Amino acid sequence: MIKKIYISFVFALFASVAIAQVDRTTAPEPSPAKEINIGEPTTFTLKNGLKVFVVENHKLPRVAFSLTFDRDPVLEGDKAGYVSMAGQMLMKGTKNRTKAELDEDIDFIGANINTFSTGMYATSLTKHQDKLMELMKDVLFNPAFPEDELEKLKKQTLSGLAASKDDPNAIASNVRGKLVYGDEHPYGEFETEESVEKITLDEIKAYYNTYFRPNIGYLAIVGDITPKEAKKLIKKNFSDWEKGDVPTAEYEMPTPPEETYVALVDREASVQSVINVTYPVNLPIGGEDVITARVLNQILGGGFSSRLMQNLREKNAFTYGARSSLSADEYVGSFTASASVRNEVTDSAVNEFMAELMKINKEGVTQDELDAAKASIAGSFARSLESPQTVASFAINTARYNLPEDYYANYLKNLEAVTLEDVKAAAQKYILPNNANILVVGKGAEIAENLEKFGEVKYFNKKGNEYDPNDKTALPEGLTANKVFENYFKALGGKDKISSIESMKTVYTMSMQGQTLTFTEIKDNDNFKQEVGMGPMVMSKVLVNDDEVKAFQQGQEVPLPDEAKSNLKSNTFIFPELHYADMGVTTELTGIETVNDKDAYVVSVTLPSGQVTKSYFDTESGLKVKTSATQKGPQGEVTVYEEYSDFEAIDGIMVPKKNVKFQGRPLNTELQSAEFNIDIKEDTFN
Amino acid sequence: MMKRLIIGSLCLLMAFGSIAQKKEIEFTEFDLDNGMHVILHQDNSTPIVVVSVMYHVGSKNENPDRTGFAHFFEHLLFEGSKNIERGQFDKYITNAGGVNNANTSNDRTYYYEILPSNQLELGLWLESERLMHAKIQEIGVETQREVVKEEKRQRYDNQPYGTILPEIMKRAYTEHPYRWTPIGSLEHLNAASLDEFVEFYETFYVPENATLSIAGDIEIEEAKKLIEDYFGPIPRGGKEIPRPDIVEPEQKEEVRDTIYDNIQLPAVIQAYHMPAQGTEDSYALEMLSTALSGGQSARMYKSLVDEQQKALQVAAIPFSSEDPGLYLLFGLPTIGGDLKELEDAMDAEIKKVQKELISDKEFEKIRNQKENDFISGNSRMAGIAESLANYHVYYGDANLFNKEIDRYMKVTKEDIKRVANEYLTEDNRVVLYYLPKSQQNQ
Repeated sequence: MIKKIYISFVFALFASVAIAQVDRTTAPEPSPAKEINIGEPTTFTLKNGLKVFVVENHKLPRVAFSLTFDRDPVLEGDKAGYVSMAGQMLMKGTKNRTKAELDEDIDFIGANINTFSTGMYATSLTKHQDKLMELMKDVLFNPAFPEDELEKLKKQTLSGLAASKDDPNAIASNVRGKLVYGDEHPYGEFETEESVEKITLDEIKAYYNTYFRPNIGYLAIVGDITPKEAKKLIKKNFSDWEKGDVPTAEYEMPTPPEETYVALVDREASVQSVINVTYPVNLPIGGEDVITARVLNQILGGGFSSRLMQNLREKNAFTYGARSSLSADEYVGSFTASASVRNEVTDSAVNEFMAELMKINKEGVTQDELDAAKASIAGSFARSLESPQTVASFAINTARYNLPEDYYANYLKNLEAVTLEDVKAAAQKYILPNNANILVVGKGAEIAENLEKFGEVKYFNKKGNEYDPNDKTALPEGLTANKVFENYFKALGGKDKISSIESMKTVYTMSMQGQTLTFTEIKDNDNFKQEVGMGPMVMSKVLVNDDEVKAFQQGQEVPLPDEAKSNLKSNTFIFPELHYADMGVTTELTGIETVNDKDAYVVSVTLPSGQVTKSYFDTESGLKVKTSATQKGPQGEVTVYEEYSDFEAIDGIMVPKKNVKFQGRPLNTELQSAEFNIDIKEDTFN
Repeated sequence: MMKRLIIGSLCLLMAFGSIAQKKEIEFTEFDLDNGMHVILHQDNSTPIVVVSVMYHVGSKNENPDRTGFAHFFEHLLFEGSKNIERGQFDKYITNAGGVNNANTSNDRTYYYEILPSNQLELGLWLESERLMHAKIQEIGVETQREVVKEEKRQRYDNQPYGTILPEIMKRAYTEHPYRWTPIGSLEHLNAASLDEFVEFYETFYVPENATLSIAGDIEIEEAKKLIEDYFGPIPRGGKEIPRPDIVEPEQKEEVRDTIYDNIQLPAVIQAYHMPAQGTEDSYALEMLSTALSGGQSARMYKSLVDEQQKALQVAAIPFSSEDPGLYLLFGLPTIGGDLKELEDAMDAEIKKVQKELISDKEFEKIRNQKENDFISGNSRMAGIAESLANYHVYYGDANLFNKEIDRYMKVTKEDIKRVANEYLTEDNRVVLYYLPKSQQNQ
């Protein structure tokens, strides 16, 4: 208290003198920039090769261990995904603790432990340090790799993949990797349903045994611990860890395309296009251009005031956000400029992207832009130093990438030294509007034509494989829609057989967050009933009979427009293709497209109402593998579709065991039962 | 401007995290002659500085016919000042390599900048301009009305469950100004005249209602001089600052209602009246929420999400505030699950803590978790500056930053059982069922 009074008393005395000195009319100048003191970690190396970095910081009574393995990227091939799973499997139980016991023990001390394919992270209060070390060692050295946990993890991964399978951003990310880095580079690989199915404990154990080795390990210990204590602790606990022969790998350096072209992934349900202008760059970490490249990217697409954001969002309102990245990497870096835009402005947006790339490549940047970018980077560099983890990562990077000892100490000085000429030179070297993959994931029918002005438009499927959408030559001579139907009837079990079917009942189910959704359909060529239930509850119902078409949601009838009613009537047919002639539909064989990586004939079907649907028939099996329709919704047109696969003969008729219904998102349903020529109760369709 | 959003005490809770440092953090505090309180924390390890001002004005200080004013000012006061052109406030900060933001709660309004430490003076200039002579003009008011309208749309109307707090508050409080939330009413803002905005500014944006909290790479004496230079000349406001002394009458029976909203999954929310922050019982209630939903091994999570699979998510959140606040329980059922069943299961968990003392082992676990949360919560300068200001504004004791953990550690197992029985009763709660709009006509 006494101190407080004294202080304000002193202030009162000279306050009036000081006031006159401030000029409020302009912003005060900064005082001289402070020298940044990054701090030196203590380092030592165990006999087994483990390199340890200790950053002592007693601000908080907390300690964090982070272990990183420095290995060359691993090419996973047809089992893509196993490397990442190997990292996750470490947390699924040890030889001493089940997964549940492990979770409980970690929670009890309020700690956190995470594992991944290239290391682990563990943190707790200092006073729980010994227990944390015990748990960490158990996880790291005694993983149990239980079979049932792998199955659970695969199941989770598969449902994640199923959910993201049709997500345009996920598609863009996968295809981008393949276009930029190619098949033969690990950066170009991504996990698929097939690759995940193939993963076994063998790969996972082999990966763990090969790469979880001290001689490629960097361990950062940060926090409330002295280097002496840390050394003792690590020696005691990690000295027995055996080193191993860790293989190295070399990959050919990916190169940008000779010529800019458009890689289109045709996604017919899209109302927005995902645009990535992208190519590989050779920009090694710590290389001489890295800081200049960061400045360059900051100006082009690095923040809210960047050129791309100002142009595509503020000026043109094409998108909520447009940005770019120019990333340094030990093996191969990349440039990507990206945005999601409405279908109708896709080509205009690409045009602005290319114009901005061209402009910065030719003209460089202005002094004001350069100053603002430097200030922003310097500020964010300084703020990052608040975390002691940053200090550790600087030290580890310096060792891993053979950077000069003072690389980070001189970072701001080197940033300040970047000139307009440097940025211009970097723009010419790294911004390559003439050698770019312009990847667009969107609705081809609406956007493809206008994209031709940017270069050849090539079509790619979701797996990043190129195909020819207009390859009419692949349509066998003389093939017509009707012949495709005839083949289909044969494949189903023969026209006679299917013509004898008078009624059918199918039940498909899917599980969703622990609940089972049931889709039941009954049809007899005159009537149709569909019910979607959850447990005992009927969530929605559609009825079509001679007199009427009705739809119900949770027991309440919902009004249907006449057009929808008329379209629903065609659902009464068990095999609608048998009845096309009577229904007055027109059909046209339009080409070949891929459905789940297999070629399929596409037949366009126009109903009397004018509604157009497309049916896809596998070129080999002849079976119908997909139907799609574009509908008018409250937010414009949406495309819904169903995919059929895994056919099985039931009573001599091929029935798909899997049915994916896509309505905004995929519902993966599986066949429970299919019955033909059943007894139908009188009131079934009322 | 979008980035500035209202935060309720939900977020404030995080700001309270801190305390169990082995080493106490040091700070200097004093009052300027004009009544402004200043708190300085020196830490020269990183060349950054946080300059912040907390005004002890929130939505509870508003005229019931002019709700939304406090939050509106959080926007309006970026419009410029006598010496800062319109739209330039943010630019000074970005060009200096800094970042900034502001937020408003029921109880206070907070502005801060994180700057390179050689730009301390810039931060002081900006904040003193804001307090001394901000531009309260028609053009700024018009602009910000539009921005706030957009914010309301994004954060409340179009945000799934965004209306939970307003809907709960207006049912839980009949008298106390917590019955409205900081976003307030657009009609009130539209109806307000420029004079009313000027009046609000002159009443609440005065040095005696402001706490300047600075943390980071500073030299105390140099900072003091600059603070005196920039804030010293600002005259005291001198008006009486309205502080509501309304005591919300005790709730006598359960309030239950259904809200139809733009959501896919329904939700159940229970809100129990709880004592004001800083009381012994409020600490016990916070410990209770760690037992109920602090992590995957917590009671409600383990039972309702893992074992019974009735819920996708459950949470117990003490919404504590300067005046008596609310203890919220939130449940999101699994798809197709029944809300009543979920609520019954939540009630069953409450019954358990009301009937049986928690075990010694569990008690130790939640103490460990609480301690860990506290210590991990405040490692950055931004958090330290805000927490020091909070402790001063709410308790008149910034040093609680170092001491508040003791209050949590004083809570016993018996306290936890007692507060569960005392506050988590049917008569003392509001229960809302949130249902998708599509179910409205059934």
